[in-house]
Amino acid sequence: MSCCRSSGEALERDSAGRPSETTVLGLDNVPLELPVAGPGSRSLAAFLDYLLVGIGAFAWGALCLAVSTLAKPAGWWMFALFLVGFFVIEYGYFAVLEIVREGQTFGKWAVGLRVVTREAARPGPAAFLIRNVVRSVDLVVGVPLMAVDPLSRRLGDRLAGTLVVYEHAPTREPVLRRTPQGWSAQEAALLEAFLWRAPEMEPWRAERLARQLLDCIRHDDPSLAGEIDPALGPVDALGRLVKSA
Amino acid sequence: MDYARFVRLRSSTWDQFESRLSAAQKEPRRVGHADLEAVALAYRQILHDHALAASRFPGTAAARRLGVLALRGTHWLHWDRSDRVPGLRQFFAQTFPLTFRAHLPHLVAAVALFATAFVFGTCLAIVQPGTGAAILGPHTIEGLRQGHLWTESLVSTVPPVVSSSGIATNNMSVALTGWAGGAALGLGSLYVILLNGFLLGAILATTVHYGLLGAMLEFVSAHGPLEITLILATAAGGLSLGHAMVASEDLPRPLVLRRASRDALVLLLGCLPWFVVLGIVEAVVSPAPTVPAPLKAGLGLGLEASFLVLAWNPLLRRERR
Repeated sequence: MSCCRSSGEALERDSAGRPSETTVLGLDNVPLELPVAGPGSRSLAAFLDYLLVGIGAFAWGALCLAVSTLAKPAGWWMFALFLVGFFVIEYGYFAVLEIVREGQTFGKWAVGLRVVTREAARPGPAAFLIRNVVRSVDLVVGVPLMAVDPLSRRLGDRLAGTLVVYEHAPTREPVLRRTPQGWSAQEAALLEAFLWRAPEMEPWRAERLARQLLDCIRHDDPSLAGEIDPALGPVDALGRLVKSA
Repeated sequence: MDYARFVRLRSSTWDQFESRLSAAQKEPRRVGHADLEAVALAYRQILHDHALAASRFPGTAAARRLGVLALRGTHWLHWDRSDRVPGLRQFFAQTFPLTFRAHLPHLVAAVALFATAFVFGTCLAIVQPGTGAAILGPHTIEGLRQGHLWTESLVSTVPPVVSSSGIATNNMSVALTGWAGGAALGLGSLYVILLNGFLLGAILATTVHYGLLGAMLEFVSAHGPLEITLILATAAGGLSLGHAMVASEDLPRPLVLRRASRDALVLLLGCLPWFVVLGIVEAVVSPAPTVPAPLKAGLGLGLEASFLVLAWNPLLRRERR
């Protein structure tokens, strides 16, 4: 299949080589590639979290003010409660949420990030506390440290032994259940990528590419090509041919 | 085996693992022993399929899906056991005292630095009386001239409930800053120790200048000793962090940092509850003119002794660490 060859070779070269720093060894020494989150997405998650902290502190202050206005004798008590609540929100938001939600604050959840150990496992409460107690120092040095570290660790991560990774939701990419004889994994990957992206393409472009791929199939595996449904459009025919078992 | 055959043969296992894992993540308390074993077995199969797909079929949708499943399974099934949380009783009876003892060298260093800064602050305020004015401000100095300590306003302006919560949260912030400052190569902890020593020395010398040392000592006697001890103890945790960062000796630095941070965290968590007690004492007892000075001093010494006994725990044998 000449139309796929060059991209297949490129993929081969990319996947070759020694394991990177983001690779950890799982059970039975199976290497796992950690999708480490960079400074950009982490900063965005932190911005969202601080926004929530600000909103939470403001809401708490408004609530205390409202109660103290309605019940005058409780005024000073509400002020004292406001001070304590503000301290708890300021220092507790990140650590408590990460402990309760297994490594995800609301900001991280929104951006699709999660805190894991260097071995991709669930960190314990001590790790979450440590990485958040030093947050005040990381507000100054965190981003530069993340920028120069291959694992994008801020100071808190280094002390706690944690990483922040992308938590990819299970994808519903089309997986080929039939491929023409002689097709390599790279050619199958190309076909899968086309079927995944075809709905987003302009129809005329998707149909043209699908026709080219069907021609390749006819050339490489005539017996499989015999099952192409001529009643369907090229994209649908291609999808039905390779996705049905 | 070609790619399509691999997918046809194995995809039912992947689907099963995904649905079992999702169910277990949603309701972990309902996961039975048999379910857990099934998830663990399927996880192992997923890892092996992932290894095969990553080497034979890289870049394919199946390889990507297996990578995601393997990571999700690893995260859910593996838990960092070194971070096991002890119960409250075990923490205060064993974990905290053992850690406190282990940090004694850093605590001694913190005390020595604090004492040095205290002496320096005292000398500077004696030689240059303007130092006290620079620290306390002209309004406070005017009050001292008239024979009034600024601490009197603690009971005259706001009720004790407000000042105690304010004092407690402020002291905890100082302790957290001193601890976290250790992560900056120990410099932040050093700053907190030296600043507190200098300020205390300079302020005491200023009160001597205006003949109010007795009143000042009466004010600080109930809460001062323990407050300084707690700030120095948490800063000592920060110093140990800085020590681990600068000199990790012959062990890998990540390992040393990990250990040092966990030990220092124990020290911090053992000290934090005392700040609440101190906040109440400082707001209610210390400024109260009705409480006699010997009682305040006795309370201060009692609090200090209680903390040191709990922190050292003489009943705990040395070899248990």
